[in-house]
Amino acid sequence: MALLEVHGLRKAFGGLQAVNGCTFNVEQGSITALIGPNGAGKTTVLNLISGILKPDKGRIVFDGHHIQRRPPHQITHRGMNRTFQISLNLEDMTVLENMAVLSPVGGMRGLFRPDISKAERERALELLAFVGIAHLAHEVTRNLSYGQKKLLDFASLLMADPKLILLDEPAGGVNPALLEKIIDRVRQLNDQGITFLIVEHNMEMVMSTCNQVVVMAYGTVIAEGTPQSIQNNQTVLEAYLGKVAS
Amino acid sequence: MTSVPVSAQEQPLVRSKLKSKHSILGLIILLLFLFPLTQLITANNLNYYLHLMLFIFMYIAMASSWNILGGYAGYISLGHNVFFAVGGYFSSYLLLRDGYSPFFTAPIAGFVAMALAFLVGFITLRVRGPAFIISTIALVLVFRIRLDNWERLGGANGLKLPLIDLPVEQIKFPFYYGMLILAIITVYTSYRIRHSKFGLGLRAISQNETKAEASGIPTSFYKIFAFAISGYFVGVAGAMWGYYLTYITPSIFLLILVGAQMVLMCILGGRGTVAGPVIGAIIMIGTNEFFLSEFGSSELNIFGTGAILAAVLLFFPEGIVGSLRKIGRLPAILDWD
Repeated sequence: MALLEVHGLRKAFGGLQAVNGCTFNVEQGSITALIGPNGAGKTTVLNLISGILKPDKGRIVFDGHHIQRRPPHQITHRGMNRTFQISLNLEDMTVLENMAVLSPVGGMRGLFRPDISKAERERALELLAFVGIAHLAHEVTRNLSYGQKKLLDFASLLMADPKLILLDEPAGGVNPALLEKIIDRVRQLNDQGITFLIVEHNMEMVMSTCNQVVVMAYGTVIAEGTPQSIQNNQTVLEAYLGKVAS
Repeated sequence: MTSVPVSAQEQPLVRSKLKSKHSILGLIILLLFLFPLTQLITANNLNYYLHLMLFIFMYIAMASSWNILGGYAGYISLGHNVFFAVGGYFSSYLLLRDGYSPFFTAPIAGFVAMALAFLVGFITLRVRGPAFIISTIALVLVFRIRLDNWERLGGANGLKLPLIDLPVEQIKFPFYYGMLILAIITVYTSYRIRHSKFGLGLRAISQNETKAEASGIPTSFYKIFAFAISGYFVGVAGAMWGYYLTYITPSIFLLILVGAQMVLMCILGGRGTVAGPVIGAIIMIGTNEFFLSEFGSSELNIFGTGAILAAVLLFFPEGIVGSLRKIGRLPAILDWD
């Protein structure tokens, strides 16, 4: 069953058709990679799915609900959560507060309950320990290193108990040891039933971690399948390396 | 700021410190409540001090109220004096027409201001940064023109209100207590918001709105709601202030300077902190009054206040409370966050 269905998605920025009829599915329980050369429209697709941009045309069905006209916070409440390419954190707030922001408020009545409840604090510390930065819980986020911020980004998503996690270039600018750690955590969470959609350039990560690959070029999907089938796909090679003159 | 986990032997110390902080603040409030009564016993005329203090209380309330939107959510409004005017005009009009005391209509005046804030916020909170600031200035100008030409409300000449019927040594009492209670309620509300999910969301918005929205915070609703709450207390203050002055005109409320005053107090004390607006209001009005009495109503007093403001911000770039917290020198008595 597809957890996320993207159908005929189109988005133009002025005269530039960034996404041009993009269609693909993300299966429940999979780790799906979204790859493609620079400018293929991957990040735009991610922004459309998470509601930060509104599509000109097309539909996005998540968990049985049409979400293409929904604001981002409602999509988050439905169980989809994302990281950003350059990790966005609330720089002047503590790591713990960054975690607590993701915790569901629970409607109007929840608005005026304490900002970080005891249960939330414990959950947050648990998740921070899961990615290995629990000792930084009371640090102001500004003081964290690039890698630590990425880990925080990742851990904070889990506060909302998402069904689907979108990662925008989790391996970008990350050293091999840290990447190993991120891959390991993604696998563990996937075993627990969380579905992943990952935009990534690091082929090593894609081929070793993902079980579905969607390839985009020029705003549209040019190939879909298992990592093995993609590796041998002629269209994909051409999109990345250019056509061989014949 | 979240509390750092404390070890077992530290805990009683923290608790007793907290207790003593609460009792000191309680004592100050009690003294403030008793202070006017000394006028009844002794022959001293304290009316000048009562005036000065109720003026400070009013600005504590207004600056704290402004801080809910401008400090926590980071949306600078230079148009909060519109709510001040709306509160003032609403209660004054009811007083003149039906004889209802503004002390009873003030809470309602606050709701009228709140309703206006909802309406305005719905439109203007779609934009951020400078565009939002300009929209709030525009709001002031629109209201100024409207009120200047609204004959039923006296136009540019305003309305003259009856003096409250009390002997001279008690005439400031209702206003003093009204403003004091308003200030306490406002600061307490601000404190509660600061420590709630709502406050956390507002602070997230001030840091990064896209991230806040993607984190599941309905940012538009939060901002509009914050704008409305922050309009409420300013409206209540306006209702009492008009009655206190015994006349209201558009030029009392609707000067850019009046709106800027709240902003400056928050910046001086520390934007986004609970105690900041309180400290800011006290220092600002205190220095202004000092220079006014030293130099008279010349340009020198404005220069003096400006010089103090500049000097403080040079050494405390994040406001007094904000900067002191950052270097860990904030006295416990001022740590309300």
